[in-house]
Amino acid sequence: MTLTPPLAPPAAPAPAPTTATRTGRGNPSLPKPWIGWAFLAPNLLGVLAFTLIPLLSVVGLSFTSWNLVSGLEGIEFVGLQNFLDLAVDPGFWNAALRTVVYAGISVPLTVLGGLGLALLLNGDVPGRAVLRVIFFLPYIVTVVAIGMVWLMILNPSAGLVNQTLAALGLQDLPGWFASSHWALPALILIAIWSGVGYASMIYLSALSDAPTQLYEAAEVDGAGAWTQFRTITWPSLMPTTVFLLVTLFIGASQGFGLIALITAGGPGDATTVVSYYMYQNGFQFYRFGYAAAIGMATFVGVLALTVLTWRAQRGRTLHD
Amino acid sequence: MTPRTTLSRRALLGAAAGAGAAAALSGCGSGSTGSPSTTLQVWGGVPAANGPQELVDGFTAATGEQVTYTRFVNDDRGNLKVDTALQGGVDIDVYFTYAAQNMALRAGSGMALDLTDRVRADPDLAPYLDTTAPRATMVDGRIVALATAREPNFLLFNESLREQAGIELPRAWTVDEFAATVRELAGPDRYGTYSVPDTARVSLGANYWYAPEGGSNFDDPAFLEWMQLGRSLIDDGAAYPWTEVLARQLEAYQQTPFLQGEFVVWPTAPFNLRYLNNAEDYPHDFLVAAAPTPTTARGDWNGGSFNNFIMINPRSTKIDLAWEFVRYWVTDGAGPMLGGGKIPALDVLPDEDVLAGVLGEDPEQWFDVESFRRTLFTDEPKLMTDTILSAVPEISLVSEQQRNLCWIGEKSPADAVASIDALADAAIRRYERQA
Repeated sequence: MTLTPPLAPPAAPAPAPTTATRTGRGNPSLPKPWIGWAFLAPNLLGVLAFTLIPLLSVVGLSFTSWNLVSGLEGIEFVGLQNFLDLAVDPGFWNAALRTVVYAGISVPLTVLGGLGLALLLNGDVPGRAVLRVIFFLPYIVTVVAIGMVWLMILNPSAGLVNQTLAALGLQDLPGWFASSHWALPALILIAIWSGVGYASMIYLSALSDAPTQLYEAAEVDGAGAWTQFRTITWPSLMPTTVFLLVTLFIGASQGFGLIALITAGGPGDATTVVSYYMYQNGFQFYRFGYAAAIGMATFVGVLALTVLTWRAQRGRTLHD
Repeated sequence: MTPRTTLSRRALLGAAAGAGAAAALSGCGSGSTGSPSTTLQVWGGVPAANGPQELVDGFTAATGEQVTYTRFVNDDRGNLKVDTALQGGVDIDVYFTYAAQNMALRAGSGMALDLTDRVRADPDLAPYLDTTAPRATMVDGRIVALATAREPNFLLFNESLREQAGIELPRAWTVDEFAATVRELAGPDRYGTYSVPDTARVSLGANYWYAPEGGSNFDDPAFLEWMQLGRSLIDDGAAYPWTEVLARQLEAYQQTPFLQGEFVVWPTAPFNLRYLNNAEDYPHDFLVAAAPTPTTARGDWNGGSFNNFIMINPRSTKIDLAWEFVRYWVTDGAGPMLGGGKIPALDVLPDEDVLAGVLGEDPEQWFDVESFRRTLFTDEPKLMTDTILSAVPEISLVSEQQRNLCWIGEKSPADAVASIDALADAAIRRYERQA
């Protein structure tokens, strides 16, 4: 038989904390605060070394002229000169405009496509699980594979798309990546194709949290499908939509891999968006100060867009 | 009682300092300046198996000194890696520079040892002192890099297709004759040529991008003639369509359509011969012959250059050994590099040995050997080296961009050259302002 040990007497009131006890020095039985910091240290070091220090370095570099090979002693402080040069650099403004076009078309269409797909897959569709996986696949496929496949599909003479268009009797077919008019639309097409599955997955998870009692009430009130979508579904999805818009805009403004792989910014400079222009200045021209200034300008632009998007959705969600 | 776990200012500073120190120390890898090895460290862009390893082994056998050859990929990222390693104090004694833009940065930033006195003291290296057709890179009159290879351009012919067309293999020809020939060679299932030689280079020679009085030289008619020639041959179906070049990214894989007989003439250089004598990886059933670069009324420059510059890191702790290795590479050790198409910059090997080395085993099976002998040696291609390196990467990029727009038919040759001229001029002025 096991005896239950007697209850411990009630603890005496704790003394008022002193500086020593607060830091754990006075009472060896208490956990030391540094133990917590020790657990955090590996992650903290990673953030510091690979995020914070590079970020601060970019801010500092944007006020300098530096070509890397001259070493740290070759860094020359130039004040706001890089930003003044940027303000009158047609190459930068053209790249900024292309970025706005690229993100401004690809992101809303990706979100809309994702929403449509999610509404479709949220219903009673046969093979729904398989379809979800298929639509999500492009998001997890490596950018190199995506680039190579689309290079073949969009080949002006032998590609699947133009062959199909030709078979339909169309003439003057798009030159896609070999045309300065079609290269950016082709990249937008790929961005939408690879992002729709991701957006639909996010929307699907949001739809699973939809307020069923409101739909039931709406049914009772005789609301049709469109009225239900407009008054219940869309407002309840607003936070998800804002999340997708913001993260996809940030992603699009940093889009680099496909451009570097497929077009290298061309033909001409038709697909030189801001991120690629920054790469050219930094890693081809070795103008690291100027490239850092481009990075800073991009950051400010994306931040402004994010704030605007956030403000635009206020008062439009279901719970506001 | 729950201990208070908020962060004190002192703890925060301590943690930040510790993390900063750790982050800084983490940058000190195995290649740091801490303890340089006794082995000579050499970084180059040619795969070790294509000659460098045999050369290194030869040096070790001759001197007993150990050498490690590290290959970097000769592209933007690979060269950035080299620059970062050199600046970061990685143990590199000898390294190579291939592109003018990299040379401009490295030579002008104290990353190359002054070799002038050593070259002057060695009679075998006297050609490096020549300033009329320089084989060395000089900064303020001091030699900082030695060319290890000469890279003459030539035009390769698919002999089966040439003979079918009944065209004679040219030994000396003009650009007009070149245009007429490739038009004649073109047929319903093939193009006459992949592209056109850089005829502006043929006319103007070294430093052709820069006007003698400063600024861009792209308003010279030679550039418009080159742009027009390319465009007209493409429009006529005599040159490979540039839309296909861009869509299939053929600039890096020109050998593939040549081996498949998609065009007859391929303007290229010896380093691409490796695709033509390797039946296993690049099977084909025709002989290949060489013809010289066509000349213009204004010049007969070959378009090729002295290249593959070898340099010594001034931070090396083994400078004498590094120099001994450099000297070996450009003289006694040059032979093994022939397999990769690298013809020695100095005349250190008999022409026949060079020819045999460049063409590989069983040359008669793959090449019209006599045509290569003529083109590479008998007719002495006129090589050059650029000595002005202002804004090279910027000019190179705008030139390529505008050429692409013109040759895919979206911009007229005159507009394309005018755009290059304006952008190159701005880049040169900016470069000079910042220098």
